[in-house]
Amino acid sequence: MDNTTHFGFKDVATKDKQNLVRGVFDSVASKYDLMNDVLSFGAHRLWKRYTIASSNVKTGDKVLDIAGGTGDLAIAFRKKVGESGHVILSDINAAMLGEGRKNLINKGVFGVDFVQLNAQFLPFADNTFDCVSIAFGLRNVTDKDQALAEIHRILKPGGCLLILEFSKTDSEFLKKFYDFYSFNVMPALGDLIADDKESYQYLAESIRKHPDQETLKNMVLDAGFGFCEYHSLSGGIVALHKGIKV
Amino acid sequence: MQHFALEQALNYLIQTGAINLKPLDGKTIRFSLKDLPLDVNFICTNDRIFAVSDTGQHSDVNISLNAGVFFALFKGEDLTDLLRQDKIVTHGDVKTAQLLVDMLQSVDIDLEEVLSQYTDDIVAHGVGKIAKNFKQVVQNSSNPIDAIKDGLSKLMITPVVSKLYKNKHH
Repeated sequence: MDNTTHFGFKDVATKDKQNLVRGVFDSVASKYDLMNDVLSFGAHRLWKRYTIASSNVKTGDKVLDIAGGTGDLAIAFRKKVGESGHVILSDINAAMLGEGRKNLINKGVFGVDFVQLNAQFLPFADNTFDCVSIAFGLRNVTDKDQALAEIHRILKPGGCLLILEFSKTDSEFLKKFYDFYSFNVMPALGDLIADDKESYQYLAESIRKHPDQETLKNMVLDAGFGFCEYHSLSGGIVALHKGIKV
Repeated sequence: MQHFALEQALNYLIQTGAINLKPLDGKTIRFSLKDLPLDVNFICTNDRIFAVSDTGQHSDVNISLNAGVFFALFKGEDLTDLLRQDKIVTHGDVKTAQLLVDMLQSVDIDLEEVLSQYTDDIVAHGVGKIAKNFKQVVQNSSNPIDAIKDGLSKLMITPVVSKLYKNKHH
């Protein structure tokens, strides 16, 4: 068993990655939403809207949002499932979960439960959820295969997994622009707005280390999902993978 | 992207009760139109339909047909007759295919009612009137695609105008 993994472009001991990622998100939690809006020019809201529309979630469903951070998806899911449904907003990071709780209260959204958890060890019974989402979180998980297997376990038959994550663009022009933007502009903006250059350097590096669309699709199928398809968004900068448990 | 639109439309019909999915629960149907770029797996499960482009996986039945034959099914043509005439190619469980056809033929929506939630009543009434005539037009036409084209042209040439709207600008 290989006991090292990547943290951005660095190789680190597997057991250390979780704490390193925690450090990043402890640092960026309070400015997370602002930075998302600035760095993506607001596009993250469209990507998330598309994710919600693709979820097929309906009244009465049980939904788990992993790495839910400040709660954008949880708020939208809460509206879809109604009073008879159940939404859990989860994150491994207490600071992010705290921001999520604050955000939901400020927006007058109630009836969402908050759980601090590690995606590799989900504390739920088999066949519990109609939908599990993870937006911009999977690339930070140490053992992605284990997390996908856990998600498969807790989904009901017919349940749907949604992974919204940075991915790979096929366009050479876009790739050059995106590389320049990621490694030069993003850390600089992180320094300027959040006083944290290193976290946004890690963000750029972690995106490059994340599996491409096809690789992630195969990982989802290997985890036991009967079907998986992906939709590349914004030229492939982001992809939405949708897995169905049959 | 057409899968996304199909999925949204079908699940809307399920939610409004226009489609009863129960008989197809647990079934996966691969559906392809030979003359149009549509090749999709319909996964009927958990009281909803997923329409996915991933067609590499197992399906209960594969149905392949031309768009014209699809409209023939929609207007009530018998599946067995179309199978005998080789107008539809199926591989797998024909009973599942029959259940899908039954479901298609039972679709009954009041488009006017649905649209009025999103547009004003005049527009909803205009489109609803066309939709109400749609099934009848398809049933009476030997070439349903031409009938649809004619209907759309008519809509473009004679758009519905509200008197109230006119008054606002005079």
